Amino acid sequence: MARRNANATALSERLSPFQKVYLWLVAGFILGPFIPLIIQSFAFRWAWPDLLPSTWWLEQREKSVLPLSWDYVISPYSQVWEATLNTVFIGCAVTVICLIICLPAARVLARESFRGKPAFEFFLSMPLIVPEAAIGIALLMIFIQIGLAGTYTGIIIVHLIPTIPYMIRMLTAVYQGLGRDFEEQAMILGASRWQILRMVTLPMLLPGVVAGALFTFLVSTNIFLLTFFMGQGKIITLPTLLFSKIAGGTLDASAAGITLVVTVPGIILLVVTERFIKEEAFGKGFGN
Amino acid sequence: MGDSAPNELARLRRERRLMLLQLLPVVLVLTVLFGGALVLGVMQSLGFAPWFGVNTFPDFSYFGVLWSQASFWQSLWLTLYYAVAATILSLILGILLALALVRTFPSKTLYKYLYKLPLMIPYTVGIALAVIMLGNGGMLSRLMAFAGLIDDPAQFPQILKTHMGWGIIAVYVWKQTPFVALTIYAVLLGVGRETEEAAAILGANKRQIFFLVTLPQILPGIISSTLIIFAFNIGAFEAPFILGGGFPDTLPVVAWRYFNDADYTLQLQGMATVVSIALIAGGILYSYLAIYRRYERRIGRQ
Repeated sequence: MARRNANATALSERLSPFQKVYLWLVAGFILGPFIPLIIQSFAFRWAWPDLLPSTWWLEQREKSVLPLSWDYVISPYSQVWEATLNTVFIGCAVTVICLIICLPAARVLARESFRGKPAFEFFLSMPLIVPEAAIGIALLMIFIQIGLAGTYTGIIIVHLIPTIPYMIRMLTAVYQGLGRDFEEQAMILGASRWQILRMVTLPMLLPGVVAGALFTFLVSTNIFLLTFFMGQGKIITLPTLLFSKIAGGTLDASAAGITLVVTVPGIILLVVTERFIKEEAFGKGFGN
Repeated sequence: MGDSAPNELARLRRERRLMLLQLLPVVLVLTVLFGGALVLGVMQSLGFAPWFGVNTFPDFSYFGVLWSQASFWQSLWLTLYYAVAATILSLILGILLALALVRTFPSKTLYKYLYKLPLMIPYTVGIALAVIMLGNGGMLSRLMAFAGLIDDPAQFPQILKTHMGWGIIAVYVWKQTPFVALTIYAVLLGVGRETEEAAAILGANKRQIFFLVTLPQILPGIISSTLIIFAFNIGAFEAPFILGGGFPDTLPVVAWRYFNDADYTLQLQGMATVVSIALIAGGILYSYLAIYRRYERRIGRQ
C-alpha cells in the first residue's frame, strides 16, 4: 500500500487530464476525416460552403441515365470488383510464398546462434529502410527487359521485398516463444523429423503463423508504389485504382465511395488480426 | 572418447549445412532482387543500357548533368524537408500516444482498435482524406466560411499543392503516428514499469522519470521506427505526386517523370536520380545508426 501511495506522487496508472484530451484529439484526427468522406460518397450536389449536401445521391438516382456514386462504384465500369479480386489474389500468393521461404529461416534465427548473426538480421531488415522508389524503378528496368513488367508474377515477386522483414520478425518471435522441449520429447520418443514437424511443431506454431500470414497479406494489400510501377497500368489493385481516381487532386462522390471500399479490407483485417498479433513483435530494435 | 570426437564434428557439420539450407531461400530472394536492382541500377546510371543502344559505361556525365541542375538540389531539399518534418511530428505524437496507452482507462480495448486503423489502410486513402479535409473546397474551408472568416473558396489559405507541403506532411503524420505509437507501446510493455516506479519512490518527478528513465528505455523503439518511416518518406511517391506543389517536385517524382519521358534516353538520367536517392538515404540512415550505436556504447548498453 505504501508503494501505491508513492506512485500517486509522480507515477499514476490513470490518465492525466492532458492525456485524456490528447486521446480524444488523436481519435478525432484519425477518424474525423472519414465523416465528410462518407457524406461525400452519398452526395449528389454538395456546393461550397454548405456543410451538408443540398441534394443526395438517392434523390437523383431515378432521374439519371448514367450511374451515380454508389451505383457507379458497384458497377463494372468502376473496376472496383476487378481491383478487389487482384488485390486478394496477389495478397494470397505473396503470403503463401513468403511463409514458405521465411518459416525455415525464422526457425534458425530463433534457435541457433552463428557468426555474423546480427549482420544477417540487419540484412533481412534492409528492405524496410531502402527507399521504395529507388528499388521500384531499378527493378522495373530489369523486369521490362525480362518481360515480367505488367504481369502477376512480377508484382508478386516485388511484393516479397517489403513483406519478408515483417514475416521474419513475427515468425522468429513465434519460434522463440515455442521452446524446443516438446520437439525434443517427441524425438526421444522416436518420432521422425517429418512427424515432429507435422504433429508437434506445426500445431503449436499455428496461431503465430496465422498472425504472420494475416499481417503479410495486409502489407501486400497496402502496397501502392511497387504495384503501380510493376503493374504498368495493366494490373490494377485497390490502392492503384484509388490513386488513378484522385490523381487530379479532387475527390468526387464516386471517388469517395471507392476510398471507402478501399478502407474496408483494412477494417476487416484490423478486427481479425488484433486477436492474433502480439504487440511485442513490433518492439524489436533495429540491428541490435 | 577418441572415437566420438570425429562423430561429434561430423554431426555439427551436418547441422551447420542444414542450417544454411534453411536460410538459403530467403537469402536468395533478397540477394537476387536487391543485389540485382542495385548492380543494374548503378550500372545504368553510369551509362550501361545496350537495349537503347547506349553503352558508354563507365560514364559519370548523367550524375554530372543531374547534380549541376539547381532544380535537383531544390528537389532534394523538399524531399528531405517533408521527410524530416513528418518524421519528427509523428515521433512526438506517437510517443505521447504510447505513454497514454500504457495507462489504464475505460474503453481501452476499443481505443487500441481505433488508433491502428491508419496502419491498416493504404496511403492513397490518407491522400483522399487530405483532399476532402484540406482542399480549397474542403471541410476546413467550409467550416471557416461557416464561422464567417472567409466568403469565397479562393480566400482559403492554400494548404495542398504548395511547397510548404502541409498536406503531404499531414498524410504522413496521420499514417505514421500509430506506427510509432505501436512500436513504442510494445517496447514499454516489454520493459514493464518497475524502473519507473523505483525512480518515483526515490523521489524523481515526472519530467525526470520521463527523460532519465523512460526515454533511454524506449530509445531502441524510437530508432527503429524513425528509421523505417524516414526511409519511407524519402522514397514516397503518391503523396507528393498528388498533393505536392508541382515543379520542383520531390526526387522520387522527378525520377518517375524522367522515366516516363517520351525521350527514353532520359531514363538513364532517371536512374541517376534513383541512385542519388538511395545514396542520400543510405548515408543519412547510416550516420543516424552510427550516432545511436556510439550513444549506446557510451551509456554502456552494448
